[in-house]
Order: sequence, then C-alpha cells, then structure tokens
Amino acid sequence: MKASVFWGCRILTEQYAYEMSLREILPRLDVELVDLREAMCCGDPVKSVNDFAANYLGIRVLALANLTGLKDLLVPCNRCHFVISEAKHLVDTDEKTREKIANLLKEEGLEYNPDVMVWHTIDFLHDHVGLNCIKKAVTKPLKGMKLAVHYGCQILRYTDLGRVDDAENPRKLDELINAIGAETVDYSEKLDCCGAHLMLSHVDSALSLSGAKLKAVQALGVDGLVVSCPDCGLMYDTKQKEATSTVGAKLSLPVVYYTQLLGLASGIGQDKLGLHLNQSPVNQLLSKVSA
Amino acid sequence: MFQTGLQLATRMTRIGVYVCHCGLNIAGTVDVEKVAEYAKTLPDIVVAKHYTYMCSEPGQRMIQDDIKALKLDRIVIATCSPRMHEETFRKAVAEAGLNPYLLEIVNLREHVSWPHSEEPEKATEKAKALVRMGVARVKLLEPLEKRRVSIFKDVLVVGGGIAGIQASLDLANAGFKVYLVEKAPSIGGRMAQLDKTFPTLDCSACILTPKMVDVAKHPNVTLLTNSEVESVKGFVGNYEVAIVKKPRYVDGDKCVGCELCTKVCPVKVPDKFNERLGKTRAISIYSSHAVPKVATIDPDFCLRLKTKKKDVCGKCAQACEAKAINFEQQPETVQLKIGGVIIAVGSEVFDASRMPEYGYGRFPNVISNIEFERISDASGPTNGKILSPKTGQPPRTVVFVQCVGSRDKRFHEYCCRVGCMVSLKQAILVREKMGRDVNIYVCFNDLRSFGKGYEEFYRRARDLDINFVAGIPSDVRMASDGSLYFDVFERGTSKLLEMHSDMVVLANGLVPSSDITEINKLFHASRSADGFLLEAHPKLRPLECSTAGIFLAGACQGPKDIPDTVAQASGAAAKAMDLLASGEIELEPLKAVVDEDLCSGCRVCESLCPFSAIEMKRETKIDEEKLRAEVIEAMCQGCGLCSAACPTGAIKIQQYSNKQVLAQVDAALAETKGGN
Amino acid sequence: MSLIDSMSMAKPNLKTRSKILAKLRGRDLVNCFQCIKCTSGCTALKLLELEPHEIEKLVNLGLVDELVSSDIIWTCVTCLKCVQRCPQKASPYHVIIALRNLAVEREAKIPEEFMKKVSQILETGLAESMQKVTTRKMETCDRESLKLPKLAGPKESFQAAFMKALEER
Repeated sequence: MKASVFWGCRILTEQYAYEMSLREILPRLDVELVDLREAMCCGDPVKSVNDFAANYLGIRVLALANLTGLKDLLVPCNRCHFVISEAKHLVDTDEKTREKIANLLKEEGLEYNPDVMVWHTIDFLHDHVGLNCIKKAVTKPLKGMKLAVHYGCQILRYTDLGRVDDAENPRKLDELINAIGAETVDYSEKLDCCGAHLMLSHVDSALSLSGAKLKAVQALGVDGLVVSCPDCGLMYDTKQKEATSTVGAKLSLPVVYYTQLLGLASGIGQDKLGLHLNQSPVNQLLSKVSA
Repeated sequence: MFQTGLQLATRMTRIGVYVCHCGLNIAGTVDVEKVAEYAKTLPDIVVAKHYTYMCSEPGQRMIQDDIKALKLDRIVIATCSPRMHEETFRKAVAEAGLNPYLLEIVNLREHVSWPHSEEPEKATEKAKALVRMGVARVKLLEPLEKRRVSIFKDVLVVGGGIAGIQASLDLANAGFKVYLVEKAPSIGGRMAQLDKTFPTLDCSACILTPKMVDVAKHPNVTLLTNSEVESVKGFVGNYEVAIVKKPRYVDGDKCVGCELCTKVCPVKVPDKFNERLGKTRAISIYSSHAVPKVATIDPDFCLRLKTKKKDVCGKCAQACEAKAINFEQQPETVQLKIGGVIIAVGSEVFDASRMPEYGYGRFPNVISNIEFERISDASGPTNGKILSPKTGQPPRTVVFVQCVGSRDKRFHEYCCRVGCMVSLKQAILVREKMGRDVNIYVCFNDLRSFGKGYEEFYRRARDLDINFVAGIPSDVRMASDGSLYFDVFERGTSKLLEMHSDMVVLANGLVPSSDITEINKLFHASRSADGFLLEAHPKLRPLECSTAGIFLAGACQGPKDIPDTVAQASGAAAKAMDLLASGEIELEPLKAVVDEDLCSGCRVCESLCPFSAIEMKRETKIDEEKLRAEVIEAMCQGCGLCSAACPTGAIKIQQYSNKQVLAQVDAALAETKGGN
Repeated sequence: MSLIDSMSMAKPNLKTRSKILAKLRGRDLVNCFQCIKCTSGCTALKLLELEPHEIEKLVNLGLVDELVSSDIIWTCVTCLKCVQRCPQKASPYHVIIALRNLAVEREAKIPEEFMKKVSQILETGLAESMQKVTTRKMETCDRESLKLPKLAGPKESFQAAFMKALEER
C-alpha cells in the first residue's frame, strides 16, 4: 500500500531517528511512503498567535497531500496530527471557514480534498497495516523485555474530535509492542503530559514535568520507555540529562521510538534505525536484544 | 337534539368562529382582532369573536350562548393545540345542544405564534389562512357519537419494587384485583438492597418487608415472580396480556425455604443481589428477606441444566426433604384480561467502568454507592462491617465522589436527584459504625438536599465531622499497595489537596433500566430525551403515559427517592381506579370505517395496521365468496395508515375523508382576500 | 452597570466576551458550572498555578481584559485533559487559545518564542531550523550525513497567503 507522509518540523530538523526508523521499517510492511512536495509547519505554534492562520496551515498540509493523489496521509507527530485533525473538523463543519481557507489555497493553485484520511504512526500500524502483518515481519521477537508506554496527549484527546485510541484506556501501542514480543506495564502516570509545549515559554517547568514522569517510570523497573512523538522524544530522550538536574534525581532510563524497536525486532541494523542518536542510555536496553 | 346528516346536507351552515388570545401566548404575536375581522368575511360565518381565554368559564359560556341564540351549527375555535383543550370544548359545545364533533380546533399557538414569534405580520397572515382552512373543513364534518364499551377491571402492575408494591396495595385495598409481575425471583427491588434510608435512617428492610408480606398475602393480589410480560394486545380497558412464568425448577408450593439445597450445591455463581460482591450458589434464595421465600436454580450455571444430562450432580434434589426440586419444570404462560397497567420497572445504577479515569473495575478499593449499601447492610457480604475491599481491614479514610455519570454531557445530562442524599447517608453510616477512627470526605460539585428533613440531614453530617470538599477530582490513581490517591482543587480554600484514601465510593447516578426498550415496545409507552418513560404532561399529568390506560410509578419515569416513589405509586393507583371504577369507558368515534361496497378484499389495510385493528371477514353473496375488511373499533387508534393505502378508497377515517382534507388544501392555497 | 471587580475595579467587557464566545464554536463556556474537575487535573497547576476553572469564570463574567494581558494564559501545557474530562464541554483549553490570540491582537507582552516561530515559518516554511546532533559516541551528524532526503521549502506565493491568514481576526 502507498501513503503520503507529513513529517512536520521537529522530525525533519532534529529527531532524525524517528524518520530513519519509519523509512526503514515501512517497506518491510509493504508500505511505500511518498513525501509531499515541500516541507512546512503544520501550524502548531501559530495556534496561540492566530488560530485561523494555524487552521490554514493545517489544511494546506492536506492540500499538499491531495497533490499526491493518495487517500492516506501518515502524520508521525502527535501535535501535527492534532492540529490537522482540528483544522479538518472545523473546515468540514463550518462553511465560512472552508471558503476563506479555500480562497487562500487557490492563490497557490492548491485545493483541499476532504477525502484524505489522516493517520498517526500508531493507528496506521495497528489498524491500517494490521497486527498480523507486523507479527509476520518480526524475526527477532523482543522476548522478556518489559516496557512502559507513553502515548502522549494530542493523539488521545479529545474524544469528540475522533482520535487515534481511547483517551482513558488506550491499548493500541501496548498491542503493537506485544506484537513484537515484548510486555508492557501499566502505571498511574501513563496519561501524564511530557510538557514539551512549555519549552516555548517556561523551560524549567517543562523539564520538571518530563523529569517527574521519567522518575516514576524508572521506579517501575522496566527496560525502557517507548514513545511515538518527536516532542515526547525530545523531552524524554534528548533532554533527559537536563531533566535530571531539575528534578534532583539520577535519571537513567532508555527511551526509544516504537519504530526503532519494531525495526530491531525485524532484524534491521541499529545504525540504520538511528539508535546511535538516542541520548538516553539505550545500550542497557540494546544489550537485552538477542543477537 | 343533535342534528342529523340529512338535515345538515339540505341547508347552509351557520358557523361561529372564536379566536383566542391565550393571554399573550397567541396575541403576543398574532393580531387576533384582525383574524376575527377576517373570519367575518368568509361565507357562512354568522359570528366571529375574539377573547382572552376561550377555555375559561366566560369564554366557554360565550360560545354556548351564541350557539343557542344564533342557532349556530358549526364551531371553529382558533386557539392552542387540540391536545390541550379539545375535550373541554367538545363538552362545552355538547352542553349547548350541538354535536361535539361539529367542532374544529385551529392551532394558532403551536403552529403560529410559538414558531413564528419573530415575524408577527407573516404570523397573522398564516393565522388567517389556517382559520380559512378550518372553516372549509368544519362545513364538511359529520355528527358522530361516542360509544361506551365495558372494560376489564383488573390491573397489571409491572415491577415489584416499592413503587409496584405500594400501587398494588392501594388498588387491592380498594377492591381491585391486581397482578403484580416481577422478573426477579423475589419482590422488593432496589429498596431491599439498601441498608438504611435517608433522612430518617430507618432500616430499609424493616420498613419494606411488612409491605412485601402484605402484598404477597393480600387476597386481591396475584404475585407472579420470576416472570416477565411477553405480549400485550388490545387497548385501554381491554388489554390481553401474556405473562411468562420462567421456571425456577423448584415447586413453590413445596419449598419451605430451609436453604439446605444451597448448602450442598457445588457451583458458585456471582451474587446479583449483593452486586456481585460475594458468591452464591446455582440454587439459592434470591435475597435475605425474599418474598416468596422459594429457591431458584440459575439455568446458566446449574450443571444438570447446562449439560441437560440426567445423571449429572442433582445434589440439591437429594438434599431437599420437601422434594421440591423439579428439573423438568417448564415455562408457563398466563393469559390475563387487564383494564389498566401500572409500569413500575425502576431504574439501574450507572456503570462507572464507562469512566475509566476513576478506576472503577480496575482498582478494588473503588466501589459504587450500591456496592457500599450491600457492604453496610448486616445481611450483606461483610455482615455489615465497613471493610476496605483490597485489605479486608477497616479503612482509615473514606472519600465519596459525587455526580459520577450524571450532569455530564458525555453520559447523562440530568441530575440523578438522589446521589447527594445517598452519599450523605452513607457518610453518616460510616461515622456511626466506625466512630472517630476514620476520616470521611465528600467531594462535591453542588450539594442537593432539597426534600423534607434533607437540609437538616446535611447539617447532621457536618455535625459528625464529615468534611465537604468543594471540588471534583479529575482522576483517581492507585498506589502499589492498592490504596488510592488523587488531587482535588478545593474551591473554598483555593488549594490543591492531595488526598489519600483506602476506599473511594463513587456516587453513580440512576439510569434508565435496560428493560426500558422492551417496555417501550410492549406498552407503546414513549420515552423522554433522558431515556426514562415519558409522562403525558410534565407538570399536570406526571402519573400517566399519553397512551391511555398506562400509568407510571417510581424511578422508571425519572430518578427519584423513596418518598416521591411512594407518593407517585399511590397516585398512579388512584388514576387507575379513576379509569376502571365505573366498569366502562367511552370510545372516541374518530376511527376507521369501511364502505363494504368499495372494499375489494385486497388486505393491504390489514397488513399495514400497527394496532392489529383490521380483520378480514368472509362473506358469501349469491354465488361469490368475498373477503371484506372490518375494523375492530375498540382497537383502532385512527392513525390513518389504512386510509392512505387503500386503493379503492373504501376505508376512511371519520372526519378525515379525502373530501374533508382536500377542502382544507384548497382553502390553504386560496388567496387571503378581505379584511387586512 | 452590573458588577465591578472590587480588587482591580475592572468592569465586564461584554464585547470581548462575545468575541471569545463566537470563536469557541461548540465549546460551551456558558455552561461551566464550576465543578473544578479541570483544575483538579490540570498539568500546569502545581508548577505554574494555572486554574482553568477560574479562567472560565472570569471570561464568563466578562472580566477578560486583565486575563488577556496576563502571564497566566501562557502557562497552559495544552495537554487537553480539561477538554476531555469537562462534563459540560466547556473546554478551558479553547478559551485560553482564544485569549492568547487576543493578546497577540492587542500587542500585549507575550513569550517571544511564539512570534519567532511565526517569522521562521514565513522565511523557511518550518518552525525549527536544521540541527546538528551528536551521537552517544560524540560524533556529529546532520540530515545530509544521515542520508535523509532533502525536502524543498514552500514557494514565495506561500508567504503572501500566510501573511493574509495572519491578518484574519
């Protein structure tokens, strides 16, 4: 199957491992990814400045997806997925806004197509590709590995909008992890926020939030924390050391993208999956993967 | 006294038109004076007046005086919906000597002033057009007579909770025969599950069981437990109801209630009466104060009944000294002839697992309010001791969380009415049973203690050092030892409080019973938007359905507490007595009628009738045998489906012939001429 | 004149209140009955003292002007828990976004990162700039060295359209 893909900003400019692992694993699942003609921002930071302009950007992404002629658009970042979903919902229900945005798109010769379906990595793999296909691609199941899952906020909430999984009891990423042979562990802080948005205004508070969650997950005694959003990856992996000083605890928790684990379980090499780029101590986790 | 059709056909009609202001309800939008003026310009109008309240005594008298003085033979009243006062006006017109079916109500309120309140000029034009239509129709109306039919006087009460029991006792004491049907093996309903009742803290079983025994013993009451309504045919005063008695596999006449069978049964099953907090056996007596006190076997769990093998188990039959066990028992259908029905099927408790953020179903120490009742009850699974489910030890802190599933657009918008009072009661019980050794908190949004003695009950709770936290938690979390913790922001202090507790009791709201769709279908009892059964009028007719002969009592009509339930039950009983006491009722003549000469026997009407009110009769005339449709007048509701479908126009609804309806259509399309 | 905040002497600004209500599109501010669930679960409460229920009430009473120029509306983490759990669909998050937009419109003092992002998007199409990252073995990598495909930025016509969108009120 084919799908177009919208990466947003964070993945393209910094969280390279997420992009690398996705590009490596999808052909193994018989999925061909088609990039959009240009890289742009979905409008997430613009929401606080001018909600209309943010909606325009979100719909512009869908208009670019429309140019590929493909019905499915994969959006690996949680925040992009939320912005685009809210923009789509607004435009599908409010004539005035649809007209205004359509006029702006027309200036570039672009058109919004309401039939383009928006996916996130989690539901794309769980619902569209399917667990059976995932299981078939696994050659080195991650047996005996115990992991904690962090879904993130903006793909689960709010239910009225139609999200990727159940807001209070999400299971899809847990099931995706089970499909590659590992176990997941439930914990009280599972639905808590990583705090990434506060990096724009209150850096210390952002790191306190991510630090507190890392501390709680570490106390579970798991082999690692699994994420599926570049902002969550930024907070928990890239900035784990900075969070350490903020919460005054020794944080030493391996944090990986699900797609990196999926790649490992399918026998893809560590470097190809960007595992050398993770800043958290992933070697602890990698040593548990059978050769 | 009433004029015949022939007399009417041979002379011009003399019509009186009366336009009602309905206070400002109509006159606030419609220029009623202009409408009356306009009416005067229509042909055959003898008089056209307008008045503030037509339905009032002077209003009615005005019409009656005009009928006599001006020899009017048709009346058009332009007023509110006929569903409000058509009956009243018919009576008034009849008292003045005119056939009550020569009256046409034109709806200027629900059809004009209410929907078009922003456009008074257009509304007035529409009002004129509707009056014109009414006049065109009233000319073609025919005089009709009501028929009296005799009715059955027995009453069916569906549901054996306190509502059904109270209604049954009232009716039985007044001399009516009552059939009380209850689907569980015992009557008592929700009230039997309660420990104490607010605000008196009476022991629930102590005040309920005497009534249960009374109703079971009453010579006028036939108790049908472990039974359900299977089908309902007929109409008010003439219902034919089939009740299915599900097999208990125990002979009720032989069983003495000794419970030896329960002791020897090897199969453990979840205990429904105890809200699944404990286990009972596949054969058991339903509850501690069961009436009747007869064992019942659950066929889903009993080894012999499940496997259908005669050599499997059977320990209960061996142990039973009264030889009451009968594995061969079959369901029995009872056919009843009923005059009126009281629906008292109660309600259920919101399933809090639909709000996973509170941990119900995942965290053992999070329980529902109904589960708390069973724990607190001396006859319950912990013998009345308040114990934390995870540890089995007395809790050191108990927290109540209000409004779970209620006042919530995601689940049920309504306020459940009893949640606050139940939690107050339960909090007081915790204090009384455990003394000062426990901290008790109630997390609330609004605390509603509205009834007689209720506010005093709230004060009693505060006097007992129960703390009220003005704020609702967003979620509840569980620590590794099973204890619970959560944050709640308190409005009074503006502080974020971190609470730790061994027991969280969720004040789950009352929701419509899962049977309600069945009841809806069986009795044609409508439901309101909140899912409960719909009363005929929320203020003035709260005890009956709009379907004649069906009355409502208790929580099935809306969540309520015991005092309101008992009051409503007695009221519903009185309404039923009112309907049935005379032994006969009058039937409206606005029903289908078949012109035999036109009927071709095609049976389309019979297949369409939703009330099964059409029968085909075989007729032999000379050498042909023909099928002709015949209307069972008593069951016909005058819905008009048959009339619309009949290919030959043989079947029509009285007062709704093609001619009459088309005359209205023509009048509607004519221009408004004359007047302003 | 119906009420005055006796601390700040502020009066209700009903015009701005209506503007905010119009932007909320189906989120039911007027129905907030102060159950406090949002604040009880607010991610930003402990660290930054954000009380979403208070913001709902202030806006509902029309006491918005102080809020628009306040710092508190920039403390929201956008975790969306309040939207998910509010029993009246009153959604403080959407109210806060509307207040932020008003702050920009009135040129109040706002965290500078936000306008920096807007400029960045105008220039390059992206809100972030390309980063060099270091591996755990202290080697430096970037997009090119990791052999990730190069992606073009938007054409000039995008700038004009985006600027127009930013003018929408």
